Amino acid sequence: MLGLSVDRLRADMNRLLALLFHQGVLDEQFLQLQQLQDESSPNFVSEVVNIYFHESEKLLRNLRALLVDKEFSDYKKMGVHLNQFMGSSSSIGAKRVRNVCVAFRAASDQNNRAGCLRALELLEYEYCYLKNKLHELFQIEQQRILAAAVRYPVQQHHHQQPNNP
Amino acid sequence: MACTSGGMSDVAPVPEQFPVGLRVLVVDDDVICLRVLEQMLRKCMYKVTSCSQATVALNLLRERKGCFDIVLSDVHMPDMDGFKLLELVGLEMDLPVIMMSADGRTNLVMRGIRHGACDYLIKPIRDEELKNIWQHVVRKKWNEIKEHDYSGSMEDHDRQKRAINDAEYASSVNEGADEVLKTQKKRRESKDEDETELENDDPATTKKPRVVWSVELHQQFVSAVNQLGIDKAVPKRILELMNVPGLTRENVASHLQKFRLYLKRLSGVAQQQGGLPSTYCGPVEQNIKLASLGRFDIQALAASGQLPPQTLAALHAELLSRPPGNLVLPALDQRTLLHSSIQGSKCVPVDQNVAYGQPLIKCSSNIAKQTSQPVMSNEDGLSEFEAWSSKNLGDMVPACNFGTVVETNSNMLISFIQQQQQKQSVIPEPSRSINVQPSCLVVPSQSSPNFQTGNSPVSVNQNCGFRNLAMDYNNPLLQSNNSSGSGQNMEVECKPVPMHSEFGTAGSVSSASSCSKNIQDSACQRVPSSPSTISVVMQVPSMNRVQSSHSGKPDLVQVSTRNPVYVGKGPSIPSRFAVDEHELPLSNIGQVKLYAENNGNKVKQEPNDLTENVRVGIPVRQTFPQMI
Repeated sequence: MLGLSVDRLRADMNRLLALLFHQGVLDEQFLQLQQLQDESSPNFVSEVVNIYFHESEKLLRNLRALLVDKEFSDYKKMGVHLNQFMGSSSSIGAKRVRNVCVAFRAASDQNNRAGCLRALELLEYEYCYLKNKLHELFQIEQQRILAAAVRYPVQQHHHQQPNNP
Repeated sequence: MACTSGGMSDVAPVPEQFPVGLRVLVVDDDVICLRVLEQMLRKCMYKVTSCSQATVALNLLRERKGCFDIVLSDVHMPDMDGFKLLELVGLEMDLPVIMMSADGRTNLVMRGIRHGACDYLIKPIRDEELKNIWQHVVRKKWNEIKEHDYSGSMEDHDRQKRAINDAEYASSVNEGADEVLKTQKKRRESKDEDETELENDDPATTKKPRVVWSVELHQQFVSAVNQLGIDKAVPKRILELMNVPGLTRENVASHLQKFRLYLKRLSGVAQQQGGLPSTYCGPVEQNIKLASLGRFDIQALAASGQLPPQTLAALHAELLSRPPGNLVLPALDQRTLLHSSIQGSKCVPVDQNVAYGQPLIKCSSNIAKQTSQPVMSNEDGLSEFEAWSSKNLGDMVPACNFGTVVETNSNMLISFIQQQQQKQSVIPEPSRSINVQPSCLVVPSQSSPNFQTGNSPVSVNQNCGFRNLAMDYNNPLLQSNNSSGSGQNMEVECKPVPMHSEFGTAGSVSSASSCSKNIQDSACQRVPSSPSTISVVMQVPSMNRVQSSHSGKPDLVQVSTRNPVYVGKGPSIPSRFAVDEHELPLSNIGQVKLYAENNGNKVKQEPNDLTENVRVGIPVRQTFPQMI
């Protein structure tokens, strides 16, 4: 039944979210994000998260480029990147990514290159994990919306039936 | 500003809906944050304009003045630092600005505060926080209204971008309209031609096409002002320094006015004093300083609410009696002073304030009366002081103190000189001048307590050590009464001499460090009429002790203040713009220490130190303690 599948999809979403919360991948800021989504901006969450992906990958590339450079010494610039990464990650509730950013920035503040490299590895890992999970979430969401859309006319039909006869 | 008021007028009439429709400008280079914030603000029913570039935002603000009620700005932005935007917004359109950053480190937040941010939000920003931001708009309005009440026409002008004309200038100083004329006359008499010109020209400026003060232009302006020193910055010289084709002196004058207003605003203190009658016949500069000092104390005290009513009344009486030189240098000095003093006063317990207020007043009164002849005034001031102190301070201040005070006529001279020198020293370096003022404020509070406390050290706040110092000094001082003549001489010398002269040194010290007050108090007491070489080294180590040694060398009176009174301890705050300097005192206040030594030798070096110190800003001060 379509209605059942909608419920099931919703349950899947909730389970996944709960897992991500439990793992500390996301925090309540993500819920805020979801609450911001309304009729006026129905795709708000995915819109923002996609921008986030886009920006984050840019930042990660920049960070790696900075660190790969053998004569690298511009920790200040790195700090700026990290600060931005921190800000955007925390804004969407990407808690673990943000935490790694904090550690990264600490290493950067100490001009600790090795620490920075380790932090970068970790950051990339966390970011990929987050991205995968969020993709998963959005896929379920998409399915749910589709399912709901399918169900909608059915509901209407049901409503109409009592009237027509 | 018309814009601002317009915004409020929209809002005010419809209180039921009030926060709804609040016009918010969000600036953040991080598009994610920007998008999220925008949405959150929409949910709050605000009218949101978002912008990912600070420069664009600034242009927007300039083009659509009055179209925004509040600005939210990120701190780190590639095209323009958020703090710079904050500065400019504060300077050009008196809007509340909320800073935000993922970076919540204390020094950064402190910087935001120092630059006049009304709030500093740490990302992630939650909608709960945004729901409440309208309060800043209202609060600002309220403060302005209050200010308005206190200072009459001033506030209106404050909000207007138009250049401030003479009347306003005067009014900013809290003078009656008729006073203005007098003041101007006096001013013309004074050497400060440019100042006068400035005022006269301002009205004309208003009608001329507006110059857009780009960030770069403003920076040039600020650096020019800094170079000249805020008190000495006159449009003509600023213009020369800036060397920007097409820019007229009127433009600069107008901008300078705004800049001063801006500084005042930063101080966050309303100028509350009702019209102080001021007629001033002496040299403008000195008087100004003095007057402003006295003034600021009162204001600060009153503002902080720590001043007992009786005291306040006494203060007012004193102020009224003195011929105020306030008019001349209205904006900057006073504002700065006020600002810092206020800050200081907040930290200071009541007793301190009272004590502290007195000495200052005394100085000012003295000076005021005798404008050009500082020496003479001493007695008057002293007597007043005594009377005053006996009334109000009786409890707190031991009799000994008064005696000390009285004996040191020279104090006045010294202080006078110091102040003059402050001016001089200030002139050469912009940053310094700015610094000086604030620091001056800071110091005074502490120093003055010492002064009054006199021999019996009363532990006010943290600064007990300081007072103790004062005590020490007092004793030695007793011996000397000053000949006014000597004082005059000193004064004369000081004026011409730049920083390096002996006097200059002393003066520079006081001025630079803003120790002037301290110096005044401490130095004054210490330096009797019979000139002895006295080097007063003011150091502000973390420790609270003050040491004074008298080496009586008959010839010269040298006051060298090595370490300006600044306190080193406060969080080291990078100082930018005038704002920083003003605020530095705050952190310092608690920890300021006065080191007074009488060493004749170090005088020459002092200027350098001072300069450096000044430039560095207060934080640097910490290092000095070892000197003595």
